[in-house]
Amino acid sequence: MDSVLIAAFEILSFGAIIVLVTLGLGIIASMMGIFNFAQGEFVLLGAYITYLGATSGLPVWTGMLAAPFIVGAFGFVLERLIIRRFYLAPIVAMLGTYAIGLIIRECIRGLIGGRYISVSEPIGGSLDFGDVHVSAWRFVIIVVTLLVMVASYLLLARTTFGLKIRATLENPALARASGISTSAIYGSTFAFGAALAGLAGALVVPVFTLFADLGIRFLIQGFVAVMVGGIGSFAGPVAGAGVIGVLSAALPWVMAPVIADVLVFVLAIVFIKFRPQGLLSGRRV
Amino acid sequence: MFNDQFKLSRRRFLSSFAVTTGAIATGAGSWVFPAGWANAAAGPIKVGIATDITGAMAYAGNADTNVARMVVKEINDKGGLLGRPIELYVEDTASNESVAVGNVRKLVQREKVDMVLGGVTSSMRNAIKDPIVARGKTLYIYPQLYEGKECTPYIFCTGPTPAQQCDEFIPWLIKNGGKRFALPSANYVWPHTLNAYARKLIESHGGEVIFEEYYPLDQVEFSSTVNKIISNKVDVVFNTIIPPGVGPFFKQLYEAGFLKSGGRLACVYYDENTLNINQPEEIEGLASCLDYFKVLAKDDPVSGRIQADYDKQFPGKFLLAAGSAATGTYRGLKLWEAAVKEAGKVDRESVAAALDHAKIAEAPGGPAEMVPGKRHCKMNMYTAVAKSGTYEIVARSQGLVDPKEC
Amino acid sequence: MTKTASIASAAAAEASRRSFKVLPVLELAVLAIALVMPLLLQDYLTVFATRVLILAIFALSFDLVWGYAGIMSFGQALFFGAAGYGAALLARDLDIASMLVVLPAGILIGLVFALLLGGFLLLGRHPSSVIFLALGTLTGSYAADRLARGWYYLGGQNGIPSIPPMTLGSSDFTEGPVFYYLVLGILCVVYVGCRFLVRSQFGLALAGLRENEQRITFFGYKVQHLKLIVFALGGAIAGLGGSLYAFHEGFVWPNILGVVISTQVVLYVLFGGSGTLIGAVIGAVVIEGVSFWLSDNYREIWPIILGVLLLLVILFRPSGLVSLVLSERERVGSFGRPPKGGRHGAP
Repeated sequence: MDSVLIAAFEILSFGAIIVLVTLGLGIIASMMGIFNFAQGEFVLLGAYITYLGATSGLPVWTGMLAAPFIVGAFGFVLERLIIRRFYLAPIVAMLGTYAIGLIIRECIRGLIGGRYISVSEPIGGSLDFGDVHVSAWRFVIIVVTLLVMVASYLLLARTTFGLKIRATLENPALARASGISTSAIYGSTFAFGAALAGLAGALVVPVFTLFADLGIRFLIQGFVAVMVGGIGSFAGPVAGAGVIGVLSAALPWVMAPVIADVLVFVLAIVFIKFRPQGLLSGRRV
Repeated sequence: MFNDQFKLSRRRFLSSFAVTTGAIATGAGSWVFPAGWANAAAGPIKVGIATDITGAMAYAGNADTNVARMVVKEINDKGGLLGRPIELYVEDTASNESVAVGNVRKLVQREKVDMVLGGVTSSMRNAIKDPIVARGKTLYIYPQLYEGKECTPYIFCTGPTPAQQCDEFIPWLIKNGGKRFALPSANYVWPHTLNAYARKLIESHGGEVIFEEYYPLDQVEFSSTVNKIISNKVDVVFNTIIPPGVGPFFKQLYEAGFLKSGGRLACVYYDENTLNINQPEEIEGLASCLDYFKVLAKDDPVSGRIQADYDKQFPGKFLLAAGSAATGTYRGLKLWEAAVKEAGKVDRESVAAALDHAKIAEAPGGPAEMVPGKRHCKMNMYTAVAKSGTYEIVARSQGLVDPKEC
Repeated sequence: MTKTASIASAAAAEASRRSFKVLPVLELAVLAIALVMPLLLQDYLTVFATRVLILAIFALSFDLVWGYAGIMSFGQALFFGAAGYGAALLARDLDIASMLVVLPAGILIGLVFALLLGGFLLLGRHPSSVIFLALGTLTGSYAADRLARGWYYLGGQNGIPSIPPMTLGSSDFTEGPVFYYLVLGILCVVYVGCRFLVRSQFGLALAGLRENEQRITFFGYKVQHLKLIVFALGGAIAGLGGSLYAFHEGFVWPNILGVVISTQVVLYVLFGGSGTLIGAVIGAVVIEGVSFWLSDNYREIWPIILGVLLLLVILFRPSGLVSLVLSERERVGSFGRPPKGGRHGAP
């Protein structure tokens, strides 16, 4: 019984991380129709900022708090300067964001010298539920992810700003005609997606250690999750991320990790092939 | 904490290199350390070091480079080798095998060095040995502890072998840890071969291997492994997971209460450099068996002198430690020096013939001798246990231990 | 009437321009340089140049697939690496290193993998979106990398080292000028083959496919089948490159299957200019060459510079370097016989 609880907990925490990364990717893909190949590097950026914060003498959590904002701001600037040129051509967007990701990744590789650096978590140790010990930090990750999801949902469903976003998502031309500045919305959306990735990076770095290729694995998992979940809504990427995250974390418990790793992707691709619109498609929150 | 120790970033390392000894950068990842003097007639003897200055094994590669510089400086200060100065060429293998092959080719084909010493992981050794020995026809010394079975001619191994690391260690573990063993491992040749050897020893001494599993090198999620260890009441975790996975693994194991319920960690490459990867309480009681530990410097004057020399010249965070091939590098260079002196020449055939039976009396941890015909090295072995962030020696070998290879 | 007149004058201008084709000049120039390279370089650099030529073959495979069939294959390394591993296994387990077996084996492995992956991704009731192809190929490459990393028979993380030199009869192909000329020869054969392909009727269909896929479908062409054929050919060429690479470098490891190498070849072709064949070769040579030259001083910064350059190319000159000398018309190519006189009988 204990094993099941522990397994469930680990699966949830891993799923939560994937959800954070994928949410940003999905939102950008749904809203602007482009696949941001730099999303993994935004995660890396968030992790790096956290590391900088930790080594500059401040408490670790300052870096973690700062990371989403800094990465979000960076995303906003990037969108203004470069990304908006890609909106009409998804292929070019893929390549362009890939190039941006390459620049970010190699910059960070140069700064940390190809090492694997560990960053300690602000809340360490374990929580004990009877005989079951679970990592306290993973628990925090789950909690934060839930909060973020709830906050995002509330933002989208209950605020005026959210209304504008949904309007732009549904019919950009009509939204513009109604006086909504779609370019500002796009900018904010990209920044939000980047901020989510930055947050994911900050939360994840104590678990995964910081290294230059951290982003690549998240990118691929994120993409697969978005396509499985379906583009065009808020719930789609979340559903996809949930499925991919849970599968990726659960399968290694029942089979060799390397087969589990590959199987998740194979299953996802097969699924997308036969249901190209994903699990939940359509334009809704 | 790990990140504190590594404030010495690669850039700062480069500049400290250049500033202290006037290294000439012949490329990022390539340096030459010329001697201060020259021999007009015969020119310098060229030694190539190919090791991981960047990458996951950087903690070892940098230590090895430092040791090489120290030894070469010592030799040059005493008049060089055969009256010629030694020039040190360093190439970064970057823990990346294909970069390594390219850089090693530079050493062998462009610089035409007389000997190459290097490689940390076995996969690196396997990747670079061909360009050095077969295509490059150069002598190669491999300084790191490894899985054995490297019997290629012209490759000399000066690090501990499974026989040296396990023959005394496993019985000690069974007596001081328990009979139920788990073998979590990284998926490459060293853990596979070492585990096969260890398993035979474990079973012949009455122990039991509960499970043996292999993980990709970049895996950092070990929850199912940790769960298997706890629920099967494993006594000893004989770990061969390497960085970057080892830090998270030990941390997750600690968080699950393994050490608290009396479990023992064992890891044969764990030395002073890797101690910093985890918090001291996460690795309390970890046992390791190597050819040298820093604490020996207190009793053994030779080790003390070498350790003091190193600490003075290289006061950074790359420590002279046996699991990082640093002691193997020292041994390898000194044995090679002795062989060249005996042969009187630097060409591969003569040096290899002399190196075959070379002996040195002074090295960290004690003397060392090559076993004739086997190209492996006898050395003292010590078992030590990690306590509050340092090591305590708990057992010593009786004299030099035979590597039992080839 | 003014519209017709301007068309006529444009056609006349075209006709005069048409008489000077840049492309063959460019190709011959590159060939000439390649032929004399080993005579000018030290042995050690010739080895490097051989490696670059092998990567150029690999780049050609991607150009064929993307530049001519519009498939964004982010996973070409899957075929390259699979053939490399196949060659390594042949050498290790069956002691076969003969060029006559190994190279065809590489081609076959690349072809089969491409047919399988391409068949799955391309065929089916609904045509697959570009994004899906990109993602599917990327995933294929990533999954192969992870699989090879975890499978001990393939050497796991280590890969397969110590591959013996390739043989032909009783002589070995060791690194150096001999291997260089062999690879150059193979590259030329592959290049000419591709050139014939894209200028043939098949190539005409591909050109139409690039211009307007729907219209070509309405004409009755089975677009998905066309794409699959090109994808399979691309895979075969990548496989050829892979087996050459394995024997030249002497070892294979999981990275040659993975995402980094896959995207590197995208870089080569994008940089050089897609859809021109020579662009792929030039892109590979330039990027590898500059990277090597700069690696002596700016190795850390070079990938960043590369990323910036790539971004600039994507933003401002998406047709790549080659477009600086090659006009768009020449890039697309002409088919059939040129009409007599200066009439606007454009292809």
